Amino acid sequence: MKYLYTARSVAAETFRESVKNRFFTVFAVFAACAIYASLLAGVMAIEEEARVLSDLGFGLMELMTLAYALFHAAMAIPREMETKAIYLVFSRPVSRPAYMLGKAAGLYLLGAFMLAVMAAIHLSLLSLRGFPPCAAYFNIVACIWLKIVIIISLALFISLFSTSPVSTMVISAVIWTLGHFTPEARFLIEKAGGFSGALLKGAAWMIPDLQLYNLRDAPLSASGGWFQVFYAALWALAAYGASVLLFRKKEF
Amino acid sequence: MAGALGFTGLLFFSSRSRPASPFPPPSALREVRHSAIEDMLALSLGARRLFADLWFIRLMQYYGTHEHIAGEEEEEEEHGHSHHGLDFGAGNYPEFMALSRHIAALDPYFKNAVLYSAGSLAFNLNRPGEAAELLNYALVNTPREWKFLIMLTAIGYSKSSEPAKVAQIIAPLVRERDCPVMLKQLAAFLNKKAGNYEAAAVIYADILQTSKDPFYTLNSEKELKMIEKRLK
Repeated sequence: MKYLYTARSVAAETFRESVKNRFFTVFAVFAACAIYASLLAGVMAIEEEARVLSDLGFGLMELMTLAYALFHAAMAIPREMETKAIYLVFSRPVSRPAYMLGKAAGLYLLGAFMLAVMAAIHLSLLSLRGFPPCAAYFNIVACIWLKIVIIISLALFISLFSTSPVSTMVISAVIWTLGHFTPEARFLIEKAGGFSGALLKGAAWMIPDLQLYNLRDAPLSASGGWFQVFYAALWALAAYGASVLLFRKKEF
Repeated sequence: MAGALGFTGLLFFSSRSRPASPFPPPSALREVRHSAIEDMLALSLGARRLFADLWFIRLMQYYGTHEHIAGEEEEEEEHGHSHHGLDFGAGNYPEFMALSRHIAALDPYFKNAVLYSAGSLAFNLNRPGEAAELLNYALVNTPREWKFLIMLTAIGYSKSSEPAKVAQIIAPLVRERDCPVMLKQLAAFLNKKAGNYEAAAVIYADILQTSKDPFYTLNSEKELKMIEKRLK
């Protein structure tokens, strides 16, 4: 119980830290882009305005949340190490697993909050233009959040052994990209066959299948479900476990 | 160690339960207009739909841009008319099929783009073979899409020069709320050509009410006035 209480305090602090700087600029940029796109789509995609507005909104929501959350995930622990603030934290009765859990939870909360605000802006814009949101709207947003949860977990883990926040962000971005290529990779692996195919298959397992959460690409034929939640939880737990192991070896 | 083993086991289990990709393999994407980098981004960011939208806008811009054909301007001046009726949307547009196929390869569930492209190819550009090829390509991923099947039948009948029959076949498509306006325009024209003025007027009135495209609304207004005169 004490463990969870400590984690909650760290999470709240992480969330507060993250929203302090340039947080509302992100929403302003999102709103400006979405409004500009809506004006443009009205002229250029005449009959498909609703679809273009919807797709562009989801794309922007995902990319902006990814960029902001990834930046904070890459900085969260290294910054505290650099400023020596972490010594203050561990001079109190804070366990390392609780600290890691708090950091991750604070960043998950940040992702959820960002998506909720941007979804509200997006829905307002759609309703202003007279278009109803697609039936799977909230499933799509939830799946974007699950993707963000996976990548934040991995970024936190990577930040513990990478040389700088920039390299953490680059490695995480590469994982993000590979994650969306997983079905294509499986297709290529099937074509490869043999020993190289088996090797590639093993490597492909080590990359989270983010395409599983890509409901915004095929919202009519796919739907979110418990499997996606289970899969995200599995990756988040694995990344958390590995991070705790690595974090324990660090000396403060 | 136990955690790592457990994770690998669960991952193995979950990899078995993962659904297959609903999209065509990457090898289906053919480069068009130096699209390689964009295609890579579409796949790696999981943004097939968004990029399909962009390519559809490009296709509409391409098709909406008047093609300069030698001798055409002189002919127009001589006869004092521009393209309408049977000649509506006519031209060569050599990139049309490549662009349409690219959209279908990126997002085969983008029904309106496939219907718009197939309709334009078959009835405006007089390339029914390419239209059928595009529809068959889209049907690989959406084999139960009745709209594509109706379109294929209509294309088949268009060869027999029976406008009334083609109009009758595509009627269920036109009744759909999200039917591309180009198909509505085609259905209205075919009905008019077959002498079904009332049916044509209903479709033109629908275009006038639902479309935001001034090109189609102005044309519908003009056609409605002509039909009214004829029916009086």
